[in-house]
Amino acid sequence: MAEKKQLDAKGLVKYFKDEFKTKIKKTTVKKRVVGLEKKESYFVWITIDKSIFKDVIKHLVEYQFPHLAVVSGNDLGKTIELIYHFSLDHGQKFKEISLNIKVEIPKSNPKIETICDYIPGALITEREKQEMLGVIVEGIPDSRRLFLPEDFPKGVYPWRKDGKGMEKVIKNLHEVKK
Amino acid sequence: MAKGLSKSFKKALWVYHCNSGSCNGCDIEIIAALCPRYDVERFGIKLVGSPRHADVLLVTGPVTRQMKDKVLRIYEQMPDPKAVICVGNCGNTGDVFFEGYNLVGPIDNILPVDVHVIGCPPRPEAIINAVAKVWVKLETLEAK
Amino acid sequence: MTEKTTYRLPIGPIHPALKEPVQFEFEIDGERIVDVDVSLGHVHRSIEWAGTRRNPIQNLYLAERICGICSYCHPVAFSLAVENALDIQVPDRGEYLRVIQGELERMCSHMLWAGVAAHEVGFDTVLYLTWQMREKLLDLTEYLTGNRVTKAITMIGGVRRDITKDMVPKIQETLDYFKENFEKIRHTYLDDKTFKMRCQGVGVLTYDDAIKLCAVGPTTRASGVKKDVRVDQPYFAYSDLDIDYITPDILTGEIHGDVYDRIIQRLLEVKQAIDLMEQCLDKMPSGDIVAEPKPAKLLAMLKKAEGEGIGRHEAPRGEVIHYVKLVSGEENAYTWKVRAPTYNNILPWIPMLKGEQIADIPIVAASTDPCMSCTNRVAVVDRDNKYILNKEELHQMSVEKTRRLLK
Repeated sequence: MAEKKQLDAKGLVKYFKDEFKTKIKKTTVKKRVVGLEKKESYFVWITIDKSIFKDVIKHLVEYQFPHLAVVSGNDLGKTIELIYHFSLDHGQKFKEISLNIKVEIPKSNPKIETICDYIPGALITEREKQEMLGVIVEGIPDSRRLFLPEDFPKGVYPWRKDGKGMEKVIKNLHEVKK
Repeated sequence: MAKGLSKSFKKALWVYHCNSGSCNGCDIEIIAALCPRYDVERFGIKLVGSPRHADVLLVTGPVTRQMKDKVLRIYEQMPDPKAVICVGNCGNTGDVFFEGYNLVGPIDNILPVDVHVIGCPPRPEAIINAVAKVWVKLETLEAK
Repeated sequence: MTEKTTYRLPIGPIHPALKEPVQFEFEIDGERIVDVDVSLGHVHRSIEWAGTRRNPIQNLYLAERICGICSYCHPVAFSLAVENALDIQVPDRGEYLRVIQGELERMCSHMLWAGVAAHEVGFDTVLYLTWQMREKLLDLTEYLTGNRVTKAITMIGGVRRDITKDMVPKIQETLDYFKENFEKIRHTYLDDKTFKMRCQGVGVLTYDDAIKLCAVGPTTRASGVKKDVRVDQPYFAYSDLDIDYITPDILTGEIHGDVYDRIIQRLLEVKQAIDLMEQCLDKMPSGDIVAEPKPAKLLAMLKKAEGEGIGRHEAPRGEVIHYVKLVSGEENAYTWKVRAPTYNNILPWIPMLKGEQIADIPIVAASTDPCMSCTNRVAVVDRDNKYILNKEELHQMSVEKTRRLLK
């Protein structure tokens, strides 16, 4: 991890835009001010194209090893949107930047590469996305179910909002024979 | 508690606690009942580590699908005479989790419950009150 | 795997290390652990799914029951996420009140943990001592909020109850009690020969592993990593207060990353919490406590609003992060993602437990202060096996090891 010059929020956006140019679809930098002393905190949201996903992660790890908080997911109709929540620059008082990278993948081919080879701590959150949203993570070292019971029906993904979700939940679950 | 006591229970009640998926709020209050402030051990009631030694089963939590057969197995391992206390709103009705897809319904559907304790979580005094009621109930049953 | 046969040993889901169901599978060779596999899911109550069927104010009460021990940090992280999404500005007095409640909960949780850790080593008397002291904190919580465990003090945009001038003497009295007795607790845990023998050198998590596996909370700070959401990113009123990272070398001068360091870490954090609460009481500004006091108006505003946001908070166990997405026209949240701190602290169990003895499992697992009900919002599968240790036997093994060391 080479310690280059530390970038602030706008510098971080420029760092990615310089490398990937048009494949970056949208960037937003949000600022929040708190307290009597009016300190600022920055939240950076970047939407990228699926084809450059692994390269973006590699570019990020080369700048600084990030802290991956969690991966969240949205069901947007025809696509599934995955959001990777990172945070950078821990260890310095009040200077941390929150970086959120959004990737959209089509439901007809819901595949995405794993980032466990760069960030081993991502294993549990990737396993959760597989069973909750039906995303297929390529190259994941361990693809067992995490939270749902083993006899949960395959093809039913609780967070989805199309027919494959949990819209019809029979109230008397225990009366249904397993 | 002195009313209704016969000679059948020579030792005091031993309690086994089983967590079937709760948020730990009720579990903390159960352990707080053992601590010096409420001190349920002065009555001789103690928490044991195996259901085979227990007289009373304290169940907390809405029963999740994975825990259902384990709860049943524990109930079957307990020797007669036994009683079941359901602690907290989750086991009684489901509380805020009533519509969850992984839940198997209130404990009533799985085990025969003797005393219900409501509250989210119930205070330690309410739990001690429930154990006292079970004691009287078991004593009266034994006397018959 | 090797020439010698290793036993597979499933432990759980009902077992002594925690009061919650989780299943471990250990591969053991004699007494030493070779490999660890953790299965989760016993406490899954489908909370995120239920959250999309309710409006955000109802979600606050649902979030509180994710976990009874950290029942303040989940609603507060949810409120931060909604405020981040909609740019709601919280009044300054509300921010200071939130800090006081958060630090009070941190002290309650660390005292609870201290008792449970002592119980795992075999010192039941210390369990009773720490929980008796914790009762004083619960009395204070009841005085300020109305209940011992589920407090319901958070509202989107601020807090629900104020701390008036006549409440301050009682707070000060409780803090003074803790300042006097801190030395007693410190002496019980850190100067005792048995604790040192059982805890030093056991369950080591190195600095590199802590960073690579994205560990959070006191677990990672005890290995020397300076990660603390309160100091990293300004939120609430922490940026106005005098606060710094806490790592074990403040007390001892070195960092080993073992169970003993984690005990030191948590005791130092209790001391820091007392200090922060006193600073808040001194500096508290006057004014409103909540941005929008009428719930009906708040709901109308939420219905029209659109946006997404994240909220991060430093819970007693680590970093809590919530993600909320709202769409206009609908009162209910479109998506709600909860990530509790124990989620990130599960993978570090694997390097910590490899090479240790079976009797050390309860104390190492308890040293990361796991809260399974936060993690699962589910449960595990049981498999048939020849050699199953039940709850009583595992705890008995841990206590017997202590007795052997005492001789």
